[in-house]
Amino acid sequence: MRLSRRGLLRAGLAGTAATALGGLASGCAVPTGSTGRNMVLWYWDGGLGDTVLKKARARYDSTVDLQAIKIGGYYRSKLITTMTGRAHIPDIAGLKGEDMASYLPDADQFVDLRTLGAGKYQDQYLPWKWEQGIADDGTMVGFPIDCGPVAHYYQYQVFRRAGLPYEPADVSAELNTWEKFFAAGEQLKKRIPGTSLLTDVNSVFENIVQQGAKRYVDKDRHFIGDQEHVRHAWDLAVQAKRRGIVSDLVTGTPDQISAVDSGKLPSQLGASWASYDIKNGNPRTKGRWRIADMPVRPANNGGSFLSITKACREPEQAFEIVAWMLNAANQASGYVDAGLFPSTPASYELKQLRAPDPFFGGQVTTDVFGPAAQKIAIAYNSPYDVALGQPIKDEIKNVGVLGKDPDQAWSDAMSKCRRIAKHLGVDY
Amino acid sequence: MATALDKPPVVAQRTPAARPRSALRKYWHLYAAISPFYLLFLAFGLVPVGFSLYLSFHRWDGLGTMEWAGLSQYQYLLGDSDFWSSIGNTILIWALATFPMIFLAMVTAVMLNSAVRFKNVYRFAYFLPNVTSVVAIAIVFGSVFSTNFGLVNALLQAVGLDQVAWLNTPWGIKIAIATLMTWQWTGYNAIIFLAGLQTVPSELYEAARVDGANPVQTFFRITLPMLRPTLLFVLVVSTVTGLQSFTEAQVLLQNTSNDSTFSGGPGHAGRTMVLYFFQQTFDNNDFGYGAAVAWGIFLVVVIFSIINWRLVQRRGED
Amino acid sequence: MASIKGTRGRGIALHAVLVAGLLLSAFPFYWAVIMSTHTSSEIFSYPPKLLPGSHFAENVRSLFDNIDFFGSMLNSLLVAGSVTFLVLLFDSLAAFVFAKFRFPGRRLLFGLLMLIFMVPTQLAIIPQFVMMAKIGWIGSMTALIVPAAANAFGIFWMRQYMRSAIHDELLDASRIDGAHFLRQYWHVALPVVRPGLAFLGIFTFMGQWNDYAWPLISLTNPDNVTLQVALSQLNGTHGTTDYGMVMTGALLALVPLLIVFAIGAKQIIGDLGKGAIR
Repeated sequence: MRLSRRGLLRAGLAGTAATALGGLASGCAVPTGSTGRNMVLWYWDGGLGDTVLKKARARYDSTVDLQAIKIGGYYRSKLITTMTGRAHIPDIAGLKGEDMASYLPDADQFVDLRTLGAGKYQDQYLPWKWEQGIADDGTMVGFPIDCGPVAHYYQYQVFRRAGLPYEPADVSAELNTWEKFFAAGEQLKKRIPGTSLLTDVNSVFENIVQQGAKRYVDKDRHFIGDQEHVRHAWDLAVQAKRRGIVSDLVTGTPDQISAVDSGKLPSQLGASWASYDIKNGNPRTKGRWRIADMPVRPANNGGSFLSITKACREPEQAFEIVAWMLNAANQASGYVDAGLFPSTPASYELKQLRAPDPFFGGQVTTDVFGPAAQKIAIAYNSPYDVALGQPIKDEIKNVGVLGKDPDQAWSDAMSKCRRIAKHLGVDY
Repeated sequence: MATALDKPPVVAQRTPAARPRSALRKYWHLYAAISPFYLLFLAFGLVPVGFSLYLSFHRWDGLGTMEWAGLSQYQYLLGDSDFWSSIGNTILIWALATFPMIFLAMVTAVMLNSAVRFKNVYRFAYFLPNVTSVVAIAIVFGSVFSTNFGLVNALLQAVGLDQVAWLNTPWGIKIAIATLMTWQWTGYNAIIFLAGLQTVPSELYEAARVDGANPVQTFFRITLPMLRPTLLFVLVVSTVTGLQSFTEAQVLLQNTSNDSTFSGGPGHAGRTMVLYFFQQTFDNNDFGYGAAVAWGIFLVVVIFSIINWRLVQRRGED
Repeated sequence: MASIKGTRGRGIALHAVLVAGLLLSAFPFYWAVIMSTHTSSEIFSYPPKLLPGSHFAENVRSLFDNIDFFGSMLNSLLVAGSVTFLVLLFDSLAAFVFAKFRFPGRRLLFGLLMLIFMVPTQLAIIPQFVMMAKIGWIGSMTALIVPAAANAFGIFWMRQYMRSAIHDELLDASRIDGAHFLRQYWHVALPVVRPGLAFLGIFTFMGQWNDYAWPLISLTNPDNVTLQVALSQLNGTHGTTDYGMVMTGALLALVPLLIVFAIGAKQIIGDLGKGAIR
């Protein structure tokens, strides 16, 4: 095939011009922020239930054109970049729970939900969750979507074979301290070789830190990652490694999913949304799982928020939609659609959450997650927690996966934290 | 800098311009022809790059107000062991990928140059790996190097060796990433070498054969010297792209827990310089420090390119 | 003098090595096809699956349910096609000048080009976004096309190529004015470097087709996302990634690329092989 140069040139010019002009035209057609009618909402895959979105669109159709856009890739990067560029900022933006603290210093970029009457809804939501969406100066940035109470997932038959307690109530009652939990891990490994109670030491370390009310940096910008609450979590994580109850895999990798499938990991500490992971990643294990309380007290992992940005031209309208989408009834439907565990305790009594789950042998999982969600401590999350928690999490991972000496790892973590703290202006 | 490559063009207006203005009038069409690249760079490259230089002297989280930070970001960068280790990771991965890749590509090109039949089929097939997106192929390699269900470990087991937790050990991670890069770029570079090989006059080979040189001698005495410009091209391009790699490590080592996708796996063994930049910028919201890291990366890339250039150039003068 | 038998033996050995390399090149593709015909949990089981499964149709269906595959593919075609055309035009023009002409500042400008080549402009992603937002291009494909319309790599490569491919005798040194220069470019240079153009074209098209980081940040309007951005929406947040579906998407995204490659490869293989570079 010989393409003539002239022909190519002509076709190329025409195509390029058309695309460029088309792009320019559409670029002009979509103005910054919203027009009165257009209401743009950003969320991520699995961040909101489909049914709720569809119903919201229909319900408010007469006044606004609600456009829910699912953002792929790194959600927070994209949202922050967009807000930095001050163009095409969504009116309503989902904020992930783990990122929440880092948005709060810039609360002035969001509409204070208190000014829109959020206060009257407060008693319907979990107090600790409500608190997470509020900045230091009292501005309310995030309205609660879901929460992620952590529980102990285990396989009934495996625990039974290993001579461990196997009914959920018994597991909750008997494995209620870390000492008893680790001892159970040793017994499991002895009776059924090749199995591990937990995937990695990080699930011990991070869950223990999450159980408490303190993280790595306090309200006054002091580094507290060297204090007893972190040290305690570290020591227990090291103990888990020493007693050999963790595998050498990394949570969330295909390798781990495969190990769960083959029965090498018959137990894990997972948040409520982890039930979705197991159902999707390991459909063959259906019916084998049960859920019990995690040792000592419940922790939270994940759970997100909706916010209204300053770019929104109709904040009242937006807030009405947000509050409606996240009421108790709709949160129950979000639970069915996307496994989002409600932050509204009233939902726990609704039939969607009372249904026996065949994947968990007919157990009503809300019996575990519901009470757990209501017992979670109110914690202060600092915007510096990510930067100053990371070296510690990295080093405990090195202990767990690479077999690094724990004392060396701790002192490496602390010296790194000292440098970072100084750099970020956090007192050490 | 360009001297190494420059055999002076024969078609040339040999009178050097006496005055800039007359030069402009005389050569305006040449300047016009090369201008699009420079204009585009001015508009879409220089402005953002300049702004990132400005950013690197500030503290900024992207949303709040910028604070002047002087040279403190760079001071911190110099003592940042994580940045230095990310340079080490990048160079190791680059070396592990580039040298086998260049060797294999050259061998492949020489073989393709001599094999007469099916040449086109081979060429087509060898080029294919380069067509795929890194994202897709990293998922494939992730499953090939998986500890539990991966093919590599299945093979190791089949011949009675122990399994290796490839993506869980520092060396395993680097080898897996380097293997991916080698796989993706060998064929591409083989095609480039092949194009270079075809510029070697066949009379030279004829002469070598008459002198009784064996294939290895022929390769080192004739082929390699004649391939030098191509080798330079391949080296420079693979240095510039290899030192800026990150997608391979990112997708290969991603997991779906709350862990950062920029962390580069256990021990940060796969955290390249660019991944470190993303981690600082997006995980920590530290746009100022991220910009300083970016400039650090630029410096490393320039130093390495100059070293490359010098190496190939010196050999050329022997 | 090697005997005919010896030559044939060597030929067979050569082909054996080449075929082994070919299999190594092709294997990951095969593996990707295998992955796309299984469910996620089948992929993660041991021993590894070596034969196709039966879930391809199902994976395709859930892929089409989840993203606007053909719409985003059209966008990708528009972007990659426009960029390729512009790059071929601008890069070959500049390369022709650098390869065959002398003019004041030539070395300086080429050195500058090489320096720019090394600048990791991808790291200025935030300032780029802010700038595009100011111009008003964010959300439109213009933001992808215009900045990519010429690049240092292509000029560098074409210059290397043209220096040997275009014979100096062909160029008339006596009268070089603007019009004449363009005629030389069009009638002398371009026909000779057709394989080089094909190579650069394929390479540029591929790069644009697979580009990911910048489109992900800059395309905010769901109606004009490119294929790679659409595919990125398939990754679930919490371990819910359906790998079978993701691989199916990645494979189908490859089809147009293979077509373009096959068309262009004919040029490369046909002409490059005849020793167009000399």
